[in-house]
Amino acid sequence: MDLAAPHLGFVFAAYGLSLIVLAGLILWLRHRYRALTQRLAVLEAEGVPRRRISAGAP
Amino acid sequence: MQQFANPRRFLRLVALVEPWAWSLTAILFAVGLYMSLIVAPQDYQQGETVRIMFVHVPAAWMSLLAYVDMAVASAIAIIFRHPLADLAAKAAAPIGACFTFLALATGSLWGKPMWGTWWVWDARLTSMFVLFLLYLGYIAVWHAIDDPARAARIAAIVALVGAINLPIVKFSVDWWNTLHQPASVFRMGGPTLHPAILTPLLVMGTAYLALFVTLHLTAIRAEIMARRLRQMELARADAV
Repeated sequence: MDLAAPHLGFVFAAYGLSLIVLAGLILWLRHRYRALTQRLAVLEAEGVPRRRISAGAP
Repeated sequence: MQQFANPRRFLRLVALVEPWAWSLTAILFAVGLYMSLIVAPQDYQQGETVRIMFVHVPAAWMSLLAYVDMAVASAIAIIFRHPLADLAAKAAAPIGACFTFLALATGSLWGKPMWGTWWVWDARLTSMFVLFLLYLGYIAVWHAIDDPARAARIAAIVALVGAINLPIVKFSVDWWNTLHQPASVFRMGGPTLHPAILTPLLVMGTAYLALFVTLHLTAIRAEIMARRLRQMELARADAV
């Protein structure tokens, strides 16, 4: 890569933006999964059943 | 496919596959970025700006693939009532929206130095913008309706109706006179790109594909957990 080439700022901006968006997406998905798992563990520790007992439950 | 209808079996499979999928994605990105930023030559017309293509084009491919995935999963959810299909469609939406945003934004960053403008309302750019709005609309439907079964049905219809935009995106450069260049990789007669540019592009495309598959598996797993959590919270509310 020629670091003296024109428009290099646009190239770095495109790669930087891609990195930020994709890293953000990865971190959000992993954080969401962890938060859900922790909340499920709390409910299971409380002895909450996995399904509603009443008929026609969603 | 029916054997993966059981969420518990699917979760076991994902737990097994996920570490390998992340490793493969990381290796593909390392090779792809090395080829894109170091190995690939300057273009005789675009200069160094051609390197934006190595992140722009794969993002555009994945934005379409994610929507195809969402539409097929929605059709399976409506027709076969597969218990994971609506969750698979829901999980694909934010990933597809991010790829579409990246395709639009990196395309804009390429357009300014090459076309002299950040944006034009030509058929390809406009149909890609519509695709982005479809993703946002689909996500909004899931958030707007409390009953998950009803939300899934309406969201699936939105996804299937929106699928009409996919051929418009793909063939917009052929059907209308656009500033956006016509297809140069997936076209009748084969790619028109020089192998020195085509090879890093295909490696980056494979890296983006691996990332999409891995993220989708992670997102489906989270959706299964969210559904289980909702059922448990309802069960606790019933017990009170």
